[in-house]
Amino acid sequence: MNVLTDNFSAYGAGFLGTLELTVYASLLALALGFLMASFRVAPVGSLRIFGTAWVTVLRNTPLTLLFFAVLLGLPRFGLVLPFKVFAVLALGCYTSAFICEALRSGINTVPRGQGEAARSLGMTFGQALSLVVLPQAFRSVIPPVGSTLIALAKNSAIAGAFSVTELLGTYKTLNELGYNIVWTFVWIAVGYLIITLAISALFHALERRWGVAR
Amino acid sequence: MAVDPLIELRNVNKYYGELHVLRDIDLTVGKGEVVVVIGPSGSGKSTLCRTINRLETIESGTITLDGRPLPAEGKALARLRAEVGMVFQSFNLFAHRTVLQNVSLAQVKVRGRGRQEADRRSRELLDRVGLLNQADKYPAQLSGGQQQRVAIARALAMEPKAMLFDEPTSALDPEMINEVLEVMRQLAREGMTMVVVTHEMGFARASANRVVFMADGRIVEDRSPDEFFTDPRSDRAKDFLSKILKH
Ligand SMILES: Nc1ncnc2c1ncn2[C@@H]1O[C@H](COP(=O)(O)OP(=O)(O)OP(=O)(O)O)[C@@H](O)[C@H]1O
Ligand SMILES: [Mg+2]
Repeated sequence: MNVLTDNFSAYGAGFLGTLELTVYASLLALALGFLMASFRVAPVGSLRIFGTAWVTVLRNTPLTLLFFAVLLGLPRFGLVLPFKVFAVLALGCYTSAFICEALRSGINTVPRGQGEAARSLGMTFGQALSLVVLPQAFRSVIPPVGSTLIALAKNSAIAGAFSVTELLGTYKTLNELGYNIVWTFVWIAVGYLIITLAISALFHALERRWGVAR
Repeated sequence: MAVDPLIELRNVNKYYGELHVLRDIDLTVGKGEVVVVIGPSGSGKSTLCRTINRLETIESGTITLDGRPLPAEGKALARLRAEVGMVFQSFNLFAHRTVLQNVSLAQVKVRGRGRQEADRRSRELLDRVGLLNQADKYPAQLSGGQQQRVAIARALAMEPKAMLFDEPTSALDPEMINEVLEVMRQLAREGMTMVVVTHEMGFARASANRVVFMADGRIVEDRSPDEFFTDPRSDRAKDFLSKILKH
């Protein structure tokens, strides 16, 4: 029980590390996912191909492999960044593929005629998407996007294996110090729970605010 | 007829995969003309209508609007679409916006009008179609006939040079058809250039300058309503008229 009180700073650092990874990677994933979803429904063939390729590659690559590719691969091309940034890149890009698909399925729930009416009024593709289609798609994508971000929070544990400070990684230190492994993990689990429940609560609130059908 | 052409289709062909939906279509619509398109289901009427503002692309031929060929995708196409209003069978009002916002949205975002000026104009148009008192409702709260009149006001808000109607009354209950037709008759009287796909023969007789009869992707007849209804030339048209006039 005193694992937590004795090592509060280690837990705190790990918790903050996971929180940071989750927040930054989520923002990146949402931005890229949004962009890729627009590409996938765009009237320009090359954009559609790019979006499809992005999703296919990232969704079907094991996340650990992606971490290796980013952390070991990018420096070879002269791109040297802190490991934490690499971890955010890997997590964000990986998750963007799932966000993209959630958004796209939401877009498909909006009747075709909505976009056609928007375009027939002279809106550009981007205007039709952002003013008419996405606001209506938004409702139905809130739950799946929430689930995807919860998965991201948990996936961030992989970053620990690449010496990024995060929650799961704290068990190594504590284990070496001889603390009870069960309690060590219980408190780690509680840390994850705080983050994932916060995401759930946020998306519940969003759903109650926006999810009502008119 | 020696009118100034506004919409011109020359030798237009369109396919859906193997299906040849538009075959060598030649059609000229003059400024201020009202052209009614009729024909059996699947003959390509909707497709024809939708190619005019390039909601559907064509495989060959040319379409010009006010002398300018339709641009490919992009800003130029968007600009041109704003010049051609379109009214759909299923209304397609923006479900997440109020009636007033539906009419104002594109004025602000496409025409660059200020919000207040757009709303003022929207109210004028809503008044004209008899729906000013519904301005703050959402589309789902209106009847079909009311929604369609809002859709017409929304298209008119862009001050289009021409209006396309694809079966604007087919999804309506009989008692609502007339309120929509009345708005359309009014537009026709005011000299709007209109292409109307409809089976409302009363509207065709009273308001159309020409009736275009389509079958299997071709224009089979293109004549004045009087000539067409009293003396159709082709067997396809005779057959079609006998069927629809029966009920
Ligand atoms: N998106 C599409 N993909 C494939 N085929 C299509 C598509 N849209 C229409 N068609 C086919 O093209 C043909 C012409 O369709 P169109 O909708 O233009 O007919 P229409 O004359 O408007 O018929 P209706 O009176 O039933 O509305 C039909 O055979 C239809 O099945
Ligand atoms: Mg049709």
